Amino acid sequence: MDIALAVSDVVVARARSGDLEALEALYRAFETPVYNLARRILRNAEDAEDVLQETFLEVVKSIREYRGEGHLWGWVRRIASSKALMKIRRDRLRTTEEFDESASVGRPAMSVAANLDLERALDELSDTGRAVVWLHDVEGYTHEEIAEMMDKTVSFSKSQLARSHARLRLLLDAAPESR
Amino acid sequence: MTHCTMDDLVALRAHEGSVWARTHLESCDVCRAELDALYQRIAQLKALPARAPARDRWQVVRQQVVAERHQRRREWAGWSLAAAAGLAAILIFRPFAPGIASADELAQAQQASAQLESTLHQYGTDGRVESGSAASLAAQLEDQIAAVDGVINRLGNANGAVQEDSVVAMWRQRVQLMRQLVQVRVTRVSYVGL
Repeated sequence: MDIALAVSDVVVARARSGDLEALEALYRAFETPVYNLARRILRNAEDAEDVLQETFLEVVKSIREYRGEGHLWGWVRRIASSKALMKIRRDRLRTTEEFDESASVGRPAMSVAANLDLERALDELSDTGRAVVWLHDVEGYTHEEIAEMMDKTVSFSKSQLARSHARLRLLLDAAPESR
Repeated sequence: MTHCTMDDLVALRAHEGSVWARTHLESCDVCRAELDALYQRIAQLKALPARAPARDRWQVVRQQVVAERHQRRREWAGWSLAAAAGLAAILIFRPFAPGIASADELAQAQQASAQLESTLHQYGTDGRVESGSAASLAAQLEDQIAAVDGVINRLGNANGAVQEDSVVAMWRQRVQLMRQLVQVRVTRVSYVGL
């Protein structure tokens, strides 16, 4: 998703000084893209809203450290991505979910064949796979950046991307429209 | 006939394909179609409509920000009071204690503080993300350092040799707080591990 988010320097300066109205203006400007990013990475709307909230609490705390280098959206997006990835990690620790895609592979084929479209296919990917696909292919992060955010290797990111695309291809081929 | 794997196709899209894959692609309709499908799938992903949150979370964010600011103000006031009390104690008990302040001690404390400032700058604010607890702790320490700086400034404006011990004591306190702040910055969470 290409985002052309323009926030005036005046608003940013006021936000950096702690002005609540300016901070709300930032929130309104970035609310949808942050939520969308989180929602695409996470499976559930409630978690995505939590990430939205956590992201802006972080923005408010750290806005004074933003030096205007690069687009503000890039800075906010980095925070949101990290928060979403942290959420996945916390959930994984809580559920001790397997890190690979075996959980999805074992699901009944009928549920896949019945309702497939691209969004549903995305939902069928592992949390990690979906995050890598979205961050790399849509948000434009490099494998190096993704590896750094996930504390993994570049090879891991590349391999997750290829595996996820292979899975997406299978899922979309199985969709009724594709038959 | 061996075809390109998804790894090959993803690499080809990133212009990182192997010589074999690039050569094979020129002569294989199946793999060209697969690569086209990959491009289309990614274009579809990018074209998915943006999702918007069902609820407005700004009020929650706002309330939390306001509450934290009140808390920080109270803490700042507390630390200022503590610093002032410490200063008063030094001034009161100084006549009964041997003078320990010296220009050397002051210079040492100031040098240590400058070194820590430099270290802090190296681990400084580069826009990376730190955890909420680390950010909160760092903010508290910064408030305490600001309170100590305020006392140092007031002492600097006052005259009299009686201030020397107090100034050294405050600089030492500043060094201790700076050490803690550096520790927080060095160990901060700048990435999340998946």
